[in-house]
Formats: sequence, structure tokens, C-alpha cells
Amino acid sequence: MKPEHAAVLPILLPLAFSLLVMFGRGVVRYQRAVVVGAMGLNLFACTWLFQWVRREDVPLEISFGGWNAPVGIAFYVDLLSATMVLVTALIAFCGALYALGDVGRRTWGASYGFFLLLLITGINGAFLTNDLFNLFVWFEVMLMASFAMMALGRRRFTIEGTTKYVVINMVSSFFLLAGLGLLYGKAGNLNLNIIAERLGSSSDDPIILTSCALLLMAFGIKAGVFPLYFWLPASYPNTGFTSAAVFGGLLTKVGVYAFFRVFGGAFAFFSELTGDIFIIVGVATMITGVLGAASQMYIRKILSFHIISQIGYLILCLGLFTKGAFAAAIFYTVHHIIVKTNLFFVAGMIAKTGRAEDLNKLGGLMRSSPLLAVLFAIPALSLGGIPPLSGFFAKLFVIQEAFEVEAYLVATAALAVGLLTLFSMTKIWSEAFWKDSPRNSPLCRFPKIQLVPVAILCSITLFLGFGVGPSYQISEQAAEQLWNQNSTMALEEETQP
Amino acid sequence: MELIIALLNGTLAAVGVYLLLDRNLFRILLGLALLAQAANLLVFTSAGLGDGSTPIIPKGAETLPAGHPDPLAQALVLTAIVISFGVLAFCITLLKQAHQRSGQSDVMALAKSQR
Amino acid sequence: MPGDRRGPSTMSFDQFNPAWVVLLIFAAAFLAPVLARVPQKNVGWLLAVLPALAFAFFAVGGVSVWQEETWRSSIEWAPAVGVNWDVWVTPLGLFLALLVTGIGALITIFAGAYFGDSPHRGRFFLNLYLFMGAMLGLAVTENLIVFFVFWELTSISSYLLIGFNHSKTEARKSALDALLVTGGGGLVLLAGILLLGQVGGSFLLGELIENRDAVHAHPLYAAILICFIVGAVTKSAQFPFHFWLPGAMAAPAPVSAYLHSATMVKAGVFLLALLHPLLGDTPLWHYTLLAIGAITMTLGALIAVLQTDLKRLLAYTTVSALGTLVMLLGFEDDLAAKAAVIFFIVHALYKGALFMIAGILEKTTGTRDVSQLHGLMKSMPVLGIAAVFAAASMSGIPPFIGFISKELLYQVKLEAPITGWSLLVCGIVANAANIVVALKVGVAPFLQSRGEDMTLKSKPSIGLVIGPVVLGLGSLIFGIFPQLILGDAVTALVNQIKVADVTIKLKLWHGLNLVLLLSVVTVALGFVGFAFRKRFWALGREITKRASHFEATRIFRGLLQAVIQFAGLVTRTIQSGNLRQYAICVLTAFLALLVWAFVRLPIDMQIPDLGNLRFDVILVFGLIAVGSVCMLLTRKRLTAVLFLGSVGFGIAALFALYGAPDLAITQLLVETLTLVLFALAIYNLPSLPSAVETKRPRIVSLVISLAFGAGITVLTLKAMSMQLEEPVAVEIAQRSVSEAYGRNVVNVILVDFRSLDTLGEIAVLAIAALGVAGMLRSACSSVQVSSRAPSSAVLLASARFTAPAMIAFSIYLLLRGHNEPGGGFIGGLVGAMAVVLIHLARPDLPLRFLKLSPRGLVAIGLGLAVVSGLPGLLGEGSFAAAAWGPAFDLPLIGKLKLGTPLIFDVGVYALVLGIVLLLYDTMQMWNASSRSQPQPIP
Repeated sequence: MKPEHAAVLPILLPLAFSLLVMFGRGVVRYQRAVVVGAMGLNLFACTWLFQWVRREDVPLEISFGGWNAPVGIAFYVDLLSATMVLVTALIAFCGALYALGDVGRRTWGASYGFFLLLLITGINGAFLTNDLFNLFVWFEVMLMASFAMMALGRRRFTIEGTTKYVVINMVSSFFLLAGLGLLYGKAGNLNLNIIAERLGSSSDDPIILTSCALLLMAFGIKAGVFPLYFWLPASYPNTGFTSAAVFGGLLTKVGVYAFFRVFGGAFAFFSELTGDIFIIVGVATMITGVLGAASQMYIRKILSFHIISQIGYLILCLGLFTKGAFAAAIFYTVHHIIVKTNLFFVAGMIAKTGRAEDLNKLGGLMRSSPLLAVLFAIPALSLGGIPPLSGFFAKLFVIQEAFEVEAYLVATAALAVGLLTLFSMTKIWSEAFWKDSPRNSPLCRFPKIQLVPVAILCSITLFLGFGVGPSYQISEQAAEQLWNQNSTMALEEETQP
Repeated sequence: MELIIALLNGTLAAVGVYLLLDRNLFRILLGLALLAQAANLLVFTSAGLGDGSTPIIPKGAETLPAGHPDPLAQALVLTAIVISFGVLAFCITLLKQAHQRSGQSDVMALAKSQR
Repeated sequence: MPGDRRGPSTMSFDQFNPAWVVLLIFAAAFLAPVLARVPQKNVGWLLAVLPALAFAFFAVGGVSVWQEETWRSSIEWAPAVGVNWDVWVTPLGLFLALLVTGIGALITIFAGAYFGDSPHRGRFFLNLYLFMGAMLGLAVTENLIVFFVFWELTSISSYLLIGFNHSKTEARKSALDALLVTGGGGLVLLAGILLLGQVGGSFLLGELIENRDAVHAHPLYAAILICFIVGAVTKSAQFPFHFWLPGAMAAPAPVSAYLHSATMVKAGVFLLALLHPLLGDTPLWHYTLLAIGAITMTLGALIAVLQTDLKRLLAYTTVSALGTLVMLLGFEDDLAAKAAVIFFIVHALYKGALFMIAGILEKTTGTRDVSQLHGLMKSMPVLGIAAVFAAASMSGIPPFIGFISKELLYQVKLEAPITGWSLLVCGIVANAANIVVALKVGVAPFLQSRGEDMTLKSKPSIGLVIGPVVLGLGSLIFGIFPQLILGDAVTALVNQIKVADVTIKLKLWHGLNLVLLLSVVTVALGFVGFAFRKRFWALGREITKRASHFEATRIFRGLLQAVIQFAGLVTRTIQSGNLRQYAICVLTAFLALLVWAFVRLPIDMQIPDLGNLRFDVILVFGLIAVGSVCMLLTRKRLTAVLFLGSVGFGIAALFALYGAPDLAITQLLVETLTLVLFALAIYNLPSLPSAVETKRPRIVSLVISLAFGAGITVLTLKAMSMQLEEPVAVEIAQRSVSEAYGRNVVNVILVDFRSLDTLGEIAVLAIAALGVAGMLRSACSSVQVSSRAPSSAVLLASARFTAPAMIAFSIYLLLRGHNEPGGGFIGGLVGAMAVVLIHLARPDLPLRFLKLSPRGLVAIGLGLAVVSGLPGLLGEGSFAAAAWGPAFDLPLIGKLKLGTPLIFDVGVYALVLGIVLLLYDTMQMWNASSRSQPQPIP
């Protein structure tokens, strides 16, 4: 396999297999097999790509239609995108396995598999592309697929949640389109690096500033930062568990990735202009998110609000704008994707076992299924930042960076948020597992297959914690590449006229 | 001329936002449709309006004559139009679904107890 | 921990690495549940083997340490982040390790007997071992980050231990209190550690101590010290964080015995002692610790006297004892350190014993109320003697070791230069109170006779008694041979804490002096207090009745509740569930950003002259503006949709006027399609309710939308008046004919230059269509389509003729698209209309195109699009790189060059055709079904 092939597979494989799903709809078993197989292959391809990029340590440029960067669309695969794609593939694989036990035949029949595959296509495209309009297109693919998946949830408030999700996200699409339109008008190009190069550090142009503001809005809504995140807690808890888990893990991170790719890499000049806006937004997001979580009693709402508070940490890292902060953010992102998805998985199993998601109705799970307790404890403690799990180091790096730049207030906020996070994790633990069940209704069992993805993700969490050394080195390498994106790009321009 | 088109775009956006802020899902969708139009128009115009000639290379010529409009912008807008159509179609179904479930498209009523 | 994952290859340690003991205990923790299955009598003894061995290991291996020889090693963990598990067994660490393992072994035996054959035994030992391992790690770790890892582990494992009886609400609450206090303190400690690392340039205690002066000189010194003190006092339950410790009484007896005597709470004191060489000996250090310590000592002792519950009594004396230790670390002379060390040992011995005894009494008599217990000497003589020993040591009666420590205490307070008599008084009060408690717990239940003796529920097994006996005897023996047993150790410890080089002599009898007098007075006071205990109890009940609001636990939980309520308030306000509010939030944020941008870099606002006014454009403008405004006004759905259509057509016209034929056609067709969809959707919906809005929301919407419109206007103006620095489109146009063989540049871009975008675009369409179908499927599963009759003959006839023509035309559009306006998308839409026309004519036939179902068309279309890209990928390794075949000259289509882009365009054609049919079909069926069976909300 050549790298230029491997770099396209993350979008081609799911797309191709989605066709297989369409042809064989109706037969649920067939669909399941296709989806799992596709995700497996995808995981393999992404691992290969990741290894290659890591070994070569040079960003990979892939052209489409045989047209090189200025004319055609180009993918720009540096270690950051490779890592994100790899994690996505992992989550997708686990999601597919989990779906076997979670998604009902009727939902499969409504071509759930098709949407799942195209969701992954869109996410991968967004991670890999280096072309603004292409990014917009992949965003739309991803959104459309998530709309469809979300609408297939069979909960009471599914439609209401989906409505909010759709409307707000369409507004974000408006911002994105307008922003890139202006940028194209100004720079006459869509390739991020070339735009960055043409604009150089000419941040004194109002149009560029405004278009950056538009992009900021678009990504901000996608990433779920304060005060744009309201769609998230409204929608995620009201759809199926598999969908919620995959969304909770990946969707917001695509927004965050866009933030780092555009404002951290290509348009670094913008963040000098904006000053502390990212830090302020980040802290506000952290705090409001964690407060939201503290006030909830419904498991997936708690988790949804925690997504937001964690996003705050990441945006904060962008605001600190040091290489170390970028590395911390990358490590944090990987940790958070895995842990969060895992928690949503476990939440599904809890709900299945206790026949409720409301902590007031739950209880007695410690006695009935201690295994579940362990599987919950690992990601929960990791999210709560308990050493030596991944979450601890993620927070540690962020706070260290905050101290480095002597942002003591920010560091304090981060610590306090950490404590509150731990608090709401113990809330779930104490209410769902320790407390005796308030209802004397018999507990059910969750499908055994669901143990597999949860176990996989748990072991990875443990690895990220105990093997923090290598994983952090990778994040540092990725941060290095992101940091140098402009200069390296310029060099390549000179070498290949 | 530019001024008129700019005003036109502004009107579209304003009306779109006003409808978006309605509490009725149907009108919200209309608003979104208008916003999409505004965005397309913005992209279309920001690449500069040509002299009215079409971006089609005349027979025998190797490239477009001077003063032609920007074909790339047009292609982008075309893609955007189609995409927004797809999303809108889905939203329309969502509206219908909401109706069937709850018998109304008043978002406030839909959102009861949903935070 | 990492060590066992890394394997010995990357190890670098001498043959005596204590880290492995820690890892062994952690490993054993996960075996414990299995081991706990063995017959119940022996399990305690069996599990005690490991701690006992560990104790031996440290006792033997540590001999050299007392001679101040360093015992260091390191396990590589994450050098990348400067985190390695550096092990450094200092005298202090060794001392703590011995306590943890030694008392740990006794506790394990005790617990084995205590739990009998309870099913939760396994879980208990798991937690206990985790805790033991964490404490041990704390003792031997030098790297402060790793130290913190163990520190937090103790917090978590104690959380699990305290909440062990988790069906009790109180247990859960106390566990949470403990976790929040110690965990929160832990986070402050982390901040301190990070700051220290920043200031001192290392996380290794040794290196830090070496450049101690730099740390002291640094402006952040005070902050660092405060952080560490907070971490320590929260862990060691100092005022005002003392409350979690009595709360921890909710745990089973073995847990409280372990947590209080040897471990958890001592961690804080241990940390302070460890850091004294680095941060100590400054006024801030002295006064903070003295104040905190003295308050805690006195307060704890006084509260203790008022209690009747065995465990609460002991808990508060623990608080008091810890206060004493902190206070002693606050003094600056070596004597204080000596006193601290001795008292550390004394307390571990007697407190461990007394807690186990309390547990036994509760188990055997069924009560924990000291006012009930009496005359147990006959039934439990051995235990009684052990209890008396412990009590004696606690009250500082010679020849028990407690006497030595009390003498030292008084000596320190007498000689202390900085504090004077105040602390002495506190000390006397506290000690007297301790004596009262000692008598109540250790003596009264056994010796005090009250007529008939109590009857035991069960005789305590040997496993229960062994612990107290050993510790009780310990108090005696240590007291008789202090120098022999403790001499070296105490010397080493004092030297480490005070960075001094003194040799300590310990002896029981100091002769007749003021100190002795003081202890006599204290004892006397103690006995008096004991005589009046009933009064105290009454007083205690009074106070608890009156002042219960000032109880720290209540205050803390109140605060927590307040935080939660505040959180709820905030969340309810911003996350109101009202979509409108969310939208307003987003838009205002955008406007704010826009204003900021305009202010940051002001846009020069020169209004361009209207210049060459074109009448047609004005007309279109009017059409659009009027249409959009009418959409605002009308309350009829259909009218609104029609106006939307008019706006769309207007924009199409605009495109046409400005030289974008493809755009114009596409917009036209899409708009028509949207109209149809809307019409089908609102087919059977009631008309809009008359707006039930108050004035204010209207105004808000108006303001926001006007501001927004203004912003967009400005942007558009600027956008049009800015000069492109040669757009890439120019190059595209140049290469369009020569390399992509197409003259309609827009279409060439769509199918060749940026075909990836188009691929994504049609994917969106496919998802949308299938999503609609899926929603229908999940909305009304059983759709029995009412068989529709064929419609009028006229329509039928017209369809017969027009439909084939339209299809032919659509194919024509598809094929010529590369050179003239047209292409797959437009062609597909036209074709779809033809098929729909046929279906309108013959509704009874299924919706088909060349025998293909809509889904089939979608699949084929997407498939063709993907496949057409593969040759490029496999060939020159660039997906969708065009591969060209021969060219033909066709009539009226003109030059047609075969190639993958053409296949791609055909794919687009099929897909568009498919999705339109699918949407149409779905809507049809939906209306049919909703007519037949309206669905109520589930």
C-alpha cells in the first residue's frame, strides 16, 4: 500500500461499503456484517497511514483529480490529522460493535448503517482536507449523516432535540460558507496553506478579519463553545446510545480540530489579533459546562455537559498558544474522545440494566453487576482526572502550560473544574451503583457484545495513562508539525513551482 | 449597481434572521432557506461580478475572454445550492414529523421540559 | 503501576528495590477477591502474610537507612514528561512504611476475623490492599508528581473504604465529604507541586532541597507553601477541615482503625515533615502550623470529651493528636521534632489498639455507647489488659511510652521561645481531655463494675484480639527500652527533619522536675474530668441540640448544596430549552464579534455610485425584496411558500443576468423542487396559528435582524469592491480546454477539477433522501398505500408524449454539459420531472426508471461516481484523476469525449434522478399513511 492510497482510503472505504449496505438493505444481519467489516478495514488503513506519517515525520500532500494544490483539492496529512483519523477509526469500529447490541432491527432497516458509514466519511474528510470549501462539503456530509442518525432515535424528545441541532448547525453552515466566500474573494484561493502564504501576516485587512470572525462562529458552533453550545445538551441525550456515543466522541472534536488547523496552523496571525479571546471563551466554556453537569440528574445530560467543559480546556490551550499547549491539547483530545465515547457506551449499558437514565430511578448496580461498576470506574476516574489515568496527565499538561505562561487564574479555574468533574462522576457512581435500587423491579442484562468495545476503550485509557511517555511524545511531534505548518508549506511551494 | 445587490443581500439576510427567530418551526425553515440564499449570493458576489459574459470558452478560443465572471465561484455556489437543498428537504420532513408526533410545529411547545 | 508493564529490561535498580514491594501489594489487591474465597477462619492470616513480609523487608533492608545511608533507585516511566518513579527511602519514608506494613498486617488479621464469612470480604480486601499500596508508595517516592499520584490514590481508595457499607446514606455522604475535602486539597497540592517544579526546576525532592535558598528567595514561595499546607491539613483533618474524619466513622471498624492510627491522616503530617527541610523554618511556616495545630488540638480534645459514642470519641482524639503533631512541626527547635516523632509512634500504637478494641466491643456487645459498657474484664481478660495498656500509654502513665512523649511535649512548650504559656495551657487541657477519653474507652468498659456483668453475643476470636494485644504490649516494651529500640531511628528522623546532626538519647525517667509536675497535674485533672463525665455527656447533648447548625459537616454540605443550586440556576437560565433564545445567543455573539472586528480594523465606508443602473436588475431586486417581505407578513403557509419560490426565481434571474447560466438553471429547478416538497409537506397541516407573541420579542427579533442585515450589506459591498489577487480560476480556465477537454468551465470544475466536492455533495443528497425515507419508515412502519386509481385520460395522453421527450432532453443536457450549460445535475432533475409526470398519470404503477427503483438509482449513481475515480487512484495515485478515451462528433450535442469525468457525470445524473424520485415517493406514501392513520405522540 502506498501512502497516497492510504490517505484516500479513510473516505473511500466507508463510502464504498455504504453502497454495499444500500444494495443489501432489509437483511439486517448482512448490514451489520458490512458495517463492522468496513470499520475494521478502515481501522487497519488508518493505522497504516498513522504509522507511515509518524515514521516519515513529514506532512503528506495528496492531490485529487491529478490537479496539484492551487488548482485542485489537496489533502494535507500531518501527524495531527493522521492521529485524529486513527482515533476516529477506532471509535467507529467500537461504535459498530456496540451498535450490534444497541441498535434495533427497525433502525437498521431505516439504513442506519449507511448513515454511520457516511458520518465517518465526512469526519475523516474534514480531518484530512486542506481546502476550505472541501472542508465545508465534508462538514455538510457529516452533519447530514448525524441529522439522519439522530432523527432515527426512538426517544420521546428525539424530534425536538434534532430540530434544535439542525437549526443551529445550519446557521453555522451559513457562517462557514460566507466566511470562506469572503476569503476566496480576497485571496483568490481555497487551499489553506496557500491562502495563509498569500496573506502572509497581512492581518491588517478588515475583510480577512471579518471572514476569520465568520469562521470563528462556524467552528465555535460545531465545537460547542460558550455561548454557542446550547444545541448539544439539547440533542445528544435524546437519541440512540450508539449515535450519542459516536457524536459525543467525535463531532465536537471536528470543530476543535478546525480551530487548531485554521487558527493554530494556517492563520496563526489571527490569534495574535484576537488576543485573549480564546482563553476567555475557553474558561467560560469550562465553567458553564461543568456547572451544567453538576446540576443534572440524567446520566447522558451530565456527560453532554462534560463534553462542553472539556472543550473549554482545548480552546484554552489554543488561547495559550504555545507549542506545549498544542501538544497538551492533542493529548487531551485523544484522551477525551476515547473516555467520553466509553462513558456514553457504559451509560447505555447502565440504562439497559437499570431500565432508566434518571439517577433518581437508578440504583443497586454495584450488587447486580460489579463488572459494569469496574467498566464505569475506569473512564469515570479518568475523566475526573484521577492519576495515573489518562485524564490526570491531560489536565496536568494543560495546567503546567498555564503556569508556564503565568496564567495563574486560568490554572486555578482548571483545577476547580477538575474537582467538580470528579464530583459529578462520583454522583453517578454513588447514585447508580452504591445506592440501593429505589424500585424493586428486576434488573435486565445488557447484550454481552457491548462488553467488547467498552473493554477495548478501557484498555486504551489505561495505556494512555501508564504509557503516557510515548503517547505524549507523539502529541509533541504532531504539535511541532502543526506549529511549523506555514513555514514548511512555504518551503514546499518553492521546491515545486 | 453593487449597492443594490448589497442591499438585496442584506434584505435577504435580515428577513431570514427575522423568520429564524420565529417560534414556529415552519417559518424557521423559511428563514433558513433565505439565509442559505444570502450566503450563496455573498459567495457569488465576493468573487466579483463579471461583465455579464458566461464562463464558457467560445469555440476555437483556448481560454475565457477578459472580464469573464469567476467560474470557480459559480461552481462553489452551485454545490452550495444543491447541498442546502438536500438539508432543506430533510428539514421539511422533520417539520412534518414534528407535526405528526405532537400535532404542532410551535417550537416552544415542542421544547417543553427539553433543556 | 508502569513498572510491571515495562518489564525488567528498561529497569535500572539495585537488587533491593522497594518499588517492587509496592507493585506486589497492588498486584495482590487484585488477587485478594480470589484469595478471600478460602475457608473463612484463616483468610485474615493468609492475607496478612504479604504485609508482614513487607514489614520484614523494610525492617531488615532499612537498618542502613538509620545510619543515614541513601537507599535510592528509579523505574523509568515517562522520561518524555520528566516523570519517572524515583524511589528514595528516607528515614521518614522508612518509618512510615514500617507503620503502614506492620499495623497493616495486624489490621488484615483483625479484618479477616471481623468480617467472618461476609460476601463482601473480597471487595474489602481489594480496597484495603489498594490503600496500603498507595500509602506505601507515598512513603518511598521521591518524584513529587508520582508522589501526588499515590496521594490521590489514597484519597480514592479511602473514598471506597469509607463508603464500604454503601447502602447506608450516611456512609455515602461521609465518603463524598472525605473525597471532596482530601481530593480538593490534593488539587491545591498539585498546584503547589507544579509551582515548585517551575521555581526549583525539578520534581525531585533531593534536588529541590539542594537549591532550597532559591525556592525561599522566589516571590512565589509563600504561594507554594500555602498550597502545600492546604494539601497537608486537608489530608490530616486539621481545623477547619477536621469534620471529614469523624464522618469516616461510617466505615467498618478495621477501616477506621487503619485510617486513623497509622495511615491516611498521617500522610499530611508526613508530607509536612518531608518538606520541612525544603520549605520550613520561616515565620510563615511556624505561625501557620502552630496556629492550626493548637486550635485543632484543643478543639478536638474538647469535643471528644463530650461524646458517648466509642468511635466518635476516638475520632476526635485523633483529630486532637494530629493537631498536636502539626503544632510540633511548627516549632523550630530540634526537641520539637523529637517530640513529634515519638508522639507519632505512640499515637499509632495506642490508637490502633483502641480502635480495634472499639470494634470488638461493638461486635461482641452490640453497642458503641460507653455509658452502657461495663464489667467486661471477666469475660475478656486478655483484651481488657491490652486496653488498659493502651489507655495508660494514651494518658502518659509511666512506664508506658506515652509518658515519654508527654514529658517531651511539655518540655517543648516550656522551652519554646516564640509562644509562651498559651500553648502550654492548651496542651494541659488537651492532655487532660485525652486522659478522660482513655479512661472512658480503655478502662471503664472493663474495670468499672455495675452489678451484673454484660452478656456477650459472641466470644472474640484470637484473630480479633491479637492486634490490640500486640500493640498494647508494644506501648509497654517501647516505653521500657526506648533507647534500645528507637534510639537510632529517632536520631535519624530528627536529623532529616531539621537537617541537623544531633544524636538523641531517649530515657523514661528524667528525674523530678517541672515537667513531671505538669504531667502529675494533668493526670489529676484527667481523673477529675472522668469523675464528672456524666455532666460532660449531658452538656454534650445540650450542645449538639443547640449548636447543631454550627457543626462543620452541616456547613460543608450546605455549601455543596449551594453550589449545586447555583449551578442549577445558571444552567436553567442559559440552557432554557428555548430554541429562539439559543438562536438569539448565537446571533448576538456574531454581531458582537462583527462589531469588534469593525472597531479593530475599521472598514472605509465609501458608498460606490450607483453607476450603470440596469433596469432588469432593479426589477429582479424588486421581485426578491417584495417576495421576502411578503413572507414576513403572510400567515398562510402556502402563500409563504409561493413567495419563497418567487425569491428563489428572482435569484435565479439574477444569476442569469450576471452570466451564470448553469447556476440559473440549477437554482430554477431546485426552487421548483423545494416548492413541490413544501407543498407536499404542508399538504394536510393546519394553517399557521396567529402569532401569540408579545411586543418585546418582536422588537428583539426586529433589532437583531436589522443589525444582521446591515452587517451582511456592508460585507457584500466590501466583498464586491475588493480586487482579487489573480484568482486560481484564471489558471483553471486556461487549462480547462487543453487538459480537461471541456469548454463549460463551471461544469469542468464540478466533474474534474473539484470532483471531490461534487462527490461529497451527492453524498449529502443521498443521505438526505435516505434520511427522509428512514424517518418515514420509523415514523409509520406499516404504510398501506391506498391504491390510487389512474388519473384523467388527458393527463395520461399528455404524459405519453411529453415524458419521453423530456427524458431525451435530459440526456441531451447531460451529454452536452461539458461544453454548454447543462450537465448531470440539471439533466437528472429534468429526467426526474418526466418520471414524476408519468407517475402522476399512472399512480397505480410503481415508481420506476428503466426498471430501477429510486434506491437502486441512488446506489448506482453514487457507485458510478466512486468507481469513476478509481482508475486515477490506481494509475497515477491521485483519486479521480481523469482517464480519457476517444472523442466523437455527435449531432446537435457536438464534440463528446469519453472519459471518467463523463462516467462521473452520468453517476450524478442517476443519483439526482434517484433522490428526487425517492423524496417524491416518500412524501406521497407519507401523506397517504397520515391520511389513513394520524399518529399521536407516543
